[in-house]
Amino acid sequence: MKLAFALAAATIFGTGAYLLLNRDLLRVVLGVVLISQSAVLTLIASGLTRGAAPIYPLTERDVSDPLSQGMALTAIVIGLAVTALLLVLVLRVARAFESRDIEEVAEEEAEHDAVLERRDAREHEDEEAAAR
Amino acid sequence: MTALALALVIPWAGGIVLALLDGRRRLVGWLAVAVLAANLAALVVLAAQVLSEGRVEETTGDWPAGVGITLRADALGVLFAVLSSLALLTATVHEVLDGVRERVFPGLVVLLATGLSGVFLTGDIFNFYVFFELSMTAAYILATYGGTRRELGAALVFTAVNLVGTFVFLLSVAGLYHVTGTLEMAQAAERLRDVDPNAAILIAVGFFAAFSVKLGLFPFHFWLPTVYTGARPAVAAILSGGLANIGAYGLLRFGGEIMPGELTLASTALIVIGCASIVYGGVLAVSRRTSSEMLAYSAIGQVGYVLVAIGVGGEVGFAAAILYSIINALNKTLLFLTVEMRGAIVGAVFTLGALSVAGVPPAAGFIGKLELFRAAADSPAVLALFLLGSALSFVYVFQIYQWDFWRGERTGALSGWPQQSLVAVVGLVVLAMGLWPEPLLALSHDAAEVLARAAG
Repeated sequence: MKLAFALAAATIFGTGAYLLLNRDLLRVVLGVVLISQSAVLTLIASGLTRGAAPIYPLTERDVSDPLSQGMALTAIVIGLAVTALLLVLVLRVARAFESRDIEEVAEEEAEHDAVLERRDAREHEDEEAAAR
Repeated sequence: MTALALALVIPWAGGIVLALLDGRRRLVGWLAVAVLAANLAALVVLAAQVLSEGRVEETTGDWPAGVGITLRADALGVLFAVLSSLALLTATVHEVLDGVRERVFPGLVVLLATGLSGVFLTGDIFNFYVFFELSMTAAYILATYGGTRRELGAALVFTAVNLVGTFVFLLSVAGLYHVTGTLEMAQAAERLRDVDPNAAILIAVGFFAAFSVKLGLFPFHFWLPTVYTGARPAVAAILSGGLANIGAYGLLRFGGEIMPGELTLASTALIVIGCASIVYGGVLAVSRRTSSEMLAYSAIGQVGYVLVAIGVGGEVGFAAAILYSIINALNKTLLFLTVEMRGAIVGAVFTLGALSVAGVPPAAGFIGKLELFRAAADSPAVLALFLLGSALSFVYVFQIYQWDFWRGERTGALSGWPQQSLVAVVGLVVLAMGLWPEPLLALSHDAAEVLARAAG
């Protein structure tokens, strides 16, 4: 059972990591979602025990571990919240850049740097000319 | 109610109320400042309690110990909590004086303060994750503050990278729970001694990667320059002076207290990565010509020192790491706030911050560097690198100083007096810490003792 969980979590994490490296922003979001799901699976697998439902008052001796279930539920809720947040962010970026391609977002950054660099180079030349 | 509970409840309740109000109104902005000040006051009271009586512990919800979530405040936790709260308060006052531009800003900063206080005051590993994610979520939205294409692009990078970082942390939490069967930090540290080293190392690497992403250490730094230069100055100050503390604290708490064996094992690797970070940050910062870019790369270089000190370990190493994280956070808060300011005393304040970054005597940075040199006294190679890093930082800060203030490349409106006096006060704090360092030195040694004792 542990092996099955480990394999499933690893596959999901790998798929998520692959999507994360994609150019399309929507796929990046899906990648993050998958990685969060693999974390949830790992949390469930971290406390795999067989037993009765852990509800007070306890009637049976062997109860299953409630803590990993609690952790998994919390992680799912947090995962949902950050996914919603990420989607809104992608929507705002897509509207601002009129594209959901990450390269175009990066291009703008590079252009900004290039402008700064050109300015610096020009000033440097002016300085040298003044020194001469 | 005790100071420990108040330090969490005040910003939490305040944040929820503030999130519903329109933050662009002046009054709401000052309300947020009042909530943050109250949070800081509660933390200072708590710190006084911790320093005089020792650790304060509380189990939430009246559950028996071992079932409920434990909150605990020790010297290390309160020190970082007070520091972060101070950085957040300063940055918020600065932004409110300037005029808040978006309605969510005050509420988010206060919620970020809740998350940070929680992270530093919890004794439960999963609870640490929850507060961690709370502060990160607030920070993701804060990074978009300003709303232009530059900020949005930066925020997207910040969010995507750091989300993966937090999930890696969660994976390590799951692993830790699997091998120890507990989420209590002290108990986990005890049980980890008998755990199979292979599993423990794997978990430790996960924690290290997660916190290094937060801290912006060399191989994990790629998101940092975009975000720190893209965000507004107040947000950059909050991220570098408040949020980045999670990384340093996490490395100290998880490395120094919970997994001391693994830390000793990885000590050489940590020192190498730290040195790479120092050189990389320094060299790239020298090549930058705007102050925000210089500061972003300088941030990468400065955390390298912290990592080297953690790698050296022991009480001396931890004390140096704690002291340097505190001084670095203050420097960065101060310098990022002055990035877009102009005025009579801004230049003087920038010089103070610059002296502190370079580690020149009257400023606090000198004390930090001195402790670092003491910690690394055994290895000449590391000392030489520290010297190189300090020389580089001297060059990059004063190069920017010349461009910005002597040649007047900084353009824009003159800043108002209230804003100028605010940065002057922070500058004086940095100066005072350099002139009278005993309290801070004693505090950082107290905090390091907590870790050294836990490591046995």
